[in-house]
Amino acid sequence: MLAASELVYSYGPVRALRGFSLHVAAGEIVGLVGHNGAGKSTFAGIVSGLLRPESGEVLIAGREPGQARDVLGVAPQHLALYPTVTVAETLSLFGGLAGLRRRALREAIDEVVADLRLSDFLTRRTGTLSGGQQRRAQAAAAMLHRPSLLLLDEPTAGVDPETREALLAAVRARAAQGAAVVYTTHYLPELTELGATVAVAREGTVIARGSANELLRDLPGEVCVVLDDEEIRVSTHDPATTLASLLSGVDRPVRAVELRQPSLDDLYREVAHVG
Amino acid sequence: MSADPAYRVAVLLRHNLLLRLRDPGHLISYLVMPMVLMLAFQPVFGAANTGGPAQVVVGMTVMFSVLSLTVVGNSLVTERVWRTWDRLRATPVSVVELLLGKTMPVFALLVLQQALLLVFGTSVVGMTVDGPVVLLGFAVVVWSLTLLAVGSALAMVVRSTAELNAISDVGALLLSALGGALAPVSLLPGWVQAIAPISPGYWAVTMLKDAVAGEAGGVLRASVVLACIAIAAGVFACVRASRGLSLMRG
Repeated sequence: MLAASELVYSYGPVRALRGFSLHVAAGEIVGLVGHNGAGKSTFAGIVSGLLRPESGEVLIAGREPGQARDVLGVAPQHLALYPTVTVAETLSLFGGLAGLRRRALREAIDEVVADLRLSDFLTRRTGTLSGGQQRRAQAAAAMLHRPSLLLLDEPTAGVDPETREALLAAVRARAAQGAAVVYTTHYLPELTELGATVAVAREGTVIARGSANELLRDLPGEVCVVLDDEEIRVSTHDPATTLASLLSGVDRPVRAVELRQPSLDDLYREVAHVG
Repeated sequence: MSADPAYRVAVLLRHNLLLRLRDPGHLISYLVMPMVLMLAFQPVFGAANTGGPAQVVVGMTVMFSVLSLTVVGNSLVTERVWRTWDRLRATPVSVVELLLGKTMPVFALLVLQQALLLVFGTSVVGMTVDGPVVLLGFAVVVWSLTLLAVGSALAMVVRSTAELNAISDVGALLLSALGGALAPVSLLPGWVQAIAPISPGYWAVTMLKDAVAGEAGGVLRASVVLACIAIAAGVFACVRASRGLSLMRG
């Protein structure tokens, strides 16, 4: 559904993308992670057709971004809502621009309002909503027309658990219906909840891509043994054996033990930050 | 799903009209204030050699329509402040459709503002329209298009709504005064008379006065000048808008 190859983009002298490639299949959720400045939002801008790459190619369902906006749903990183219009009016606007009319528009609004739990806020102006409610309204506007490619740029930034739960459920539902989803986030446990493939961006390029299990396979876990007066922490690829070895060498009472498998946060620190 | 450009423009028109109606403060004040000032200054301009009621009605109409540049500019600057312009550009809407949907409601309000002020001028202040109403309507449309283009261009170069308001308020008073909206150009100092034609307000006042008097030649001449200004400003605004409002300074 989305095929981005070798994208290069610069903001003046600053090179934001240097050969950024990402492919996303229909029904797949790709979690795009990386520290600030890794190129995630620039990539989103190019896929949205707002930025033109200096080189490289993006195809959405075989078409260039500018010709594929009808199959694209975008929720940008920053809130982009009209504060003086209501949620219902906002959804009517974006549904109408996507070509939905009358009954089809009403049905699409009803569906997305239910999915994102917006029914209590439909008649309220978006400027009067909380941050989390605004995030849901923005995501609803992106999902309304059942796009084939859904581009969600940090959709859960600063939201409460209820909003996060509703958003993640809606994203999973859209993917189950066949949408390709690019989901950028700093909250890595969300990607596990979404069952997403993970792509790690650093300095304008994707440096690792795969399932969470694949990417975590080579990362060490951690064993922690707590004694009365000491806490022993060991990084290891074989936590069970390491724990057994540690315990056999301890001659004092053990207060607690902890085995920690590697997580996406470890991957993030290892690959994105430290390199 | 439909990919009908006309439908998308209609959706945008409805949306932008809604935005304007939700924020009517400027429009109301720019309708009420000129009416009050017309009544206040009507005796001053009733004297001989001061242009009579046509001077005060056309002058106030031009001055407050130039002040409405704030309305035009704000309709675009707020899209940047709210980050909605790029959001709209990520939909199937083309830049031309976006600009049409954005500017047409504002254009309609500019025409409505001038029409109401001219009707007020004829019915209350005592201005008589000797020329055909069609000629006056033509002049109003040309001037409204010029304001629309200049206001849009202005919105592309300012950094904030405060800067826009400052520029359009000071600029409106300057252009209006230079153009003869506050007092006939013939009564102004010689150096002002010499530079008056550089002001679009001058051509607007001239065009509307000639339309009121039924002088089609004068209307045509002024409308050509204003059309040139409108085309230059409009092309600049379209080119900048196609790059995205986020590329504006600030």
